[in-house]
This record gives sequence, C-alpha cells and structure tokens, in this order.
Amino acid sequence: MSFTRFLVRRTLTVIPLLLGVVFITFMLIRVGGLDPVGQLAGPTATQAEFDMIREELGLDKPLWQQFLIYTGNVMQGDLGESWLSNRPVLDDMLERAVISLELLFWGVGLGALIGIPVGLRAAFRPNGKFDQTTRVLSLLGFSIPTYWLGLVMIFVFFYLLDWAPPAIGRIGLMIFPPDTVTGSYLIDGLLAAEWEAAWSATTHLILPVICLAIVSAAPIIKQTRAIALEVLSSETVRYARACGLPERTVRKLVFRNSAVPILTFVGTEVTGLVGTMSLIEYVFAWGGLGQYGLNAIVRGDFTAVQGYVLALALFSVLVFLVVDIIVHLIEPRSELS
Amino acid sequence: MAETVSNGIEQSTTAEPGFSLKNRLIGIARVSPTMAAGVLIVVAFGFMALFAEFLMPHDPVSAYHDRVLQPPSAEHWFGTDGNGMDVFSRVIYGAKFGFGIAIPAVLLAIVIGVPVGLIAGYRGGFLDEVLMRFFDGLRVFPSIILALAVVAATGQSLLNVVLVLGFLDSPVFARLVRSEVLALRSSVFVESAKAAGNPTWRILFIHLLPNAVQGAMAQTAVRAAWAVRISATLAFLGVGIQAPTPEWGAMIRQGAEFMVTGQWWVALFPGIALILLVFGLNLFGDGLQDLTDPRRRAAK
Repeated sequence: MSFTRFLVRRTLTVIPLLLGVVFITFMLIRVGGLDPVGQLAGPTATQAEFDMIREELGLDKPLWQQFLIYTGNVMQGDLGESWLSNRPVLDDMLERAVISLELLFWGVGLGALIGIPVGLRAAFRPNGKFDQTTRVLSLLGFSIPTYWLGLVMIFVFFYLLDWAPPAIGRIGLMIFPPDTVTGSYLIDGLLAAEWEAAWSATTHLILPVICLAIVSAAPIIKQTRAIALEVLSSETVRYARACGLPERTVRKLVFRNSAVPILTFVGTEVTGLVGTMSLIEYVFAWGGLGQYGLNAIVRGDFTAVQGYVLALALFSVLVFLVVDIIVHLIEPRSELS
Repeated sequence: MAETVSNGIEQSTTAEPGFSLKNRLIGIARVSPTMAAGVLIVVAFGFMALFAEFLMPHDPVSAYHDRVLQPPSAEHWFGTDGNGMDVFSRVIYGAKFGFGIAIPAVLLAIVIGVPVGLIAGYRGGFLDEVLMRFFDGLRVFPSIILALAVVAATGQSLLNVVLVLGFLDSPVFARLVRSEVLALRSSVFVESAKAAGNPTWRILFIHLLPNAVQGAMAQTAVRAAWAVRISATLAFLGVGIQAPTPEWGAMIRQGAEFMVTGQWWVALFPGIALILLVFGLNLFGDGLQDLTDPRRRAAK
C-alpha cells in the first residue's frame, strides 16, 4: 500500500469515531437532567424569561434536532459561550492549549526518558533484583494520587526548603513575560534573550514536570518491560542468540524491534495523561486548558465542560492518528487495524 | 521459576484433601510475595473499615474548636484539621468510603459488563459492531475527566459516584469476556451444548460464562484500585463528595491550603492511607493477573 493511500484510508476511519465522540459529548450534558436555563436565567427570572432563553438555546426542539444543530455548530467551530467568562469557549480554550501542551510535552518526555531505559533494563534480566525493585516502584507510581504528590512537593520544595517559587502560574509575579511567539514562556524567553524570564519560567516548570514525569514513567516502565520481554522470546532474537551474536548487538536488535509498540503505547498514554495533567495544573494553578476544564466542571459551567471534553477527545483521536502515521513511516508493513 | 509458578497454580485451584486454606495462602505467598503483601494490606484496610467505630479514638466529624490545626500529639496522633477534627479518626473512617465505593462500583461494572460481553461475543454481527464502536468512542475520553464530567452533570451524590464509576468501568469487563467468548464460540463443548438443545441463555450463562470469566475476574482488584483512586479524585475536587465528609480525597482537599503554610499533617496522612490501599489492591491485582494469564506467567 502506498503511503498516500494509507494516509487517506487511515484518516477516513476517523470520521465515524468523531461522530461517536460528538454524540457522547452531546449526551453527556443532556442525560444529566440539569437545566442550563436555570443557570443562565438566575433565581429571579420569570417564566417568560425562561422560555425566551430556552428558545434561544434551542432546547425547545426535539432531541435529535438539537443533536444535529450541535453537530453543525461544532463543525463550524462554535462551541457555545461559557457563562463564567462570558466568552466563546473555543477562544478560551485556544488561548490555553499551548500552556498545557508545554507541560505535557516536558512531563511525558521526561517520563519516557526515564521509563523506556528502565523498562528495557528490567526486561533483560526478568525477576532480577532490578526488575523486582522497579516493578514494585512502578506499581507505587500507579498508586500515588497526582494532586497529593504535587501538594507534598510544594510543601517540601517551597515551604521547607524554599527552593521552588510559589506554585502560582508559570512565571514570577514581578517578571514581565516575554513576547509571545510559541506561547511557552521558556522558549519565548530564550528566543527573545530574556534570560531572567526564561529562568523564572524554568523554575516554575520543574515541580509540575517532575510530578507528571513520575506518574507517566510508571506505566511506560511496565509496558516497555512487557514489550521487550515478548521481543526477547521471539524467533528473531533467539536466532540472533543462536548465531552467537554479541550481547550488545542482540540488545540493539531488541530495542529496534520494540520501538514501534513502545511508541504506540506512549502515544496512547499521552491521551490518558491529559486527565492526570489537569489535576497537576489545578494544584499548581498553572492556568492551562486542564485547569480551565476542571474549574468548569467544579463550577458547573456546562458549555465549557462540553467543549473541554470534546477537545480532549479530539486530541486523543489526533494523537492516535499521528502515532499510526509515524508507525507506518517507520514500518510500512504494519497493517491498517 | 516456571515450575514453582505452575505448582502454585495447582495448589490454589485443585481442592485436594490435606490442602488447608493456610497451606494455600503460604503457597501463594511463596509464588508471589508481592501479591501476598498486597492481600495483607487490603485485608488490614478492610479490617479498619469494618471496625472503624472501635478503632477511632475520637468522633471523625466532631470539631474541637479550641484545638484547630494542632500538630500530631499523643492525644491527636495525626494532628487536627482546620475544623479541629481529629485527623487520625478521620483517616480510619475514610477506609469505609474506599471500600464502600469500590466494591459496589466494581460489582456493578461486572453485572453490566459480563452479560454485554457474553452476548456481543456470542451473537457477533451488527450488535457487536455497534457496541465495540461505542466502547472505542468512550476510550478516547480520559477516564478521570469523563467520570468527573458525568458525575457533575448527573447530580452530585455518593450513589451517583458509584453508579457512574460502575458504568464507565463496565467496558473493561465486556471486552475481556467478549474476546474469550469469541475464542470459545465454535469449540466442541458449545457445539454439543447447542446440539443437545440448550436454549441460548443456558449456553451463555451455564456453559460459556464459567469458561470465559477468568480473565475478567483477574481484573477485579486492579479495577477496584482504579475506583478507589477516581472516587478520591472526585472528592478532592469537591465533585460528588463534599468537604467535611471524612473521605480521603476530601480531606486532602481540606489540607491543600495548609501545605503552603506548613500544616502538612492535614493532607499528608489521608494521602498515605489512599496510596497504601490503592498500592495494596494493585499488588494484589498484579499477582492475580500473573496467576491467570499464561502469557504473563510464561514471560517470567
């Protein structure tokens, strides 16, 4: 199959999934039985006002019509207005997306940087001391609530040791953020050669990034180990061993053959970590998309919740798509599943 | 190593006379010490949950207004929180919520997921296709966010938390059972049961169920760990379970603001309890999966 054909076919499979996603997002709020009208109208509204808002929102129409309208709006990029910020939800979210992506990038990057070598090493000596230890540690990593870890880190590194800045926002309060190029204070600061700003952004990044890295490394270790073990018992590797190839070459072979499934796993994990990351943002007052979404959930801003949930789902679909394309580029034999 | 593992399996599954419960437990402990440790932790917390009333030195929700935010002492082992409530007693009481949410949620997930998986796998066709697509769709959403949003949208009560967690977790069981059924559907014992004139429900629940459910059952502990974790997360955000409730997540929420002013004990101890219970369930679940999954067993 040529690459373009693969690309087209793979992209087409996204469409039914997207429809399903929009449907679930739509139902999410509708099944709730909560009345957005009451929220908008306030406690002193008259019946006439209620009816007016109801009509304005299209809630007087049958459910299937509402769904079609919602789908149409979503396709035009209209996600409604948040009643907390009084602005279009899409604008609110676009503003914050980069802020979250920066954290996600560093966090998962560091997690993979720790997780993959550790998992591989554990697999080369299954049930050895290293394997046993990392297995228990990674299970522990699975069990630690992210938000609690963040709070403990703030206590230790801010209150006790005074190494970290206060956990509010992404840059010191007294420092002017650099001009926006990418949206990441760290990179923008470096680009504009504003070292103070870049340094302040870095110090603010460290704790949340470590927090996210710890949580993301645990499943990566576990999965890398499992994948590498499977590759180790494959015929290819057994044949290589039987031929008497040196251990270094065998390990290289194992790494090469596990790269694709590991990449796929990290890709799927990124999508799951978006939820965890929201909690980190919440604790560190990061001001990104995750914090926005959690705030909307807690405060009951359902248009924003809907938009947020939809955005996360779209992000997952996109990540799966990109991972599949990369995998196909690395290994064109891989089939369309 | 492989030999001892398979011996352990036989010990734990065959009911030969002379194998007392104690011997079996020792057998499991020898095969998988981490699993034994997990079981021990879970049992300890279960004990705590059951006998909380006898173990708590103070009432978990009565406030001592003269002892607000006191550090750990002989009187208050884990200190007191911002309301002057005894953190130690509250941590013990919190175990009730851990089990009280996780057990019914996982049971509900099984009760929904297993029949759905059975029918989807056995019938196949359009129904199966639609269900699997729906589950694929659900998988695109991060589970924590979906749980949060649904609980927030459907009304915030403890019952709702249980229902939502159970419902959202049911695809895990449905998928596992379905894949087993797919493999078993055309096997000889199913064919002969059909030829003998058994009605479909009998084939599904009497013949297929016992053979298809093992992998799903091995997941229960891990899924319980998930339920405990997510329900605490909900409580941390104040969704579903509100603050003065002696639930661990809600207690961490109460203690969050004191972390930057140095009163670490309010949030630290409930967090440790939460980690221990989830860790215990995960250790237990990890061992269960090893015991039942031949591929994982072979890998060791």
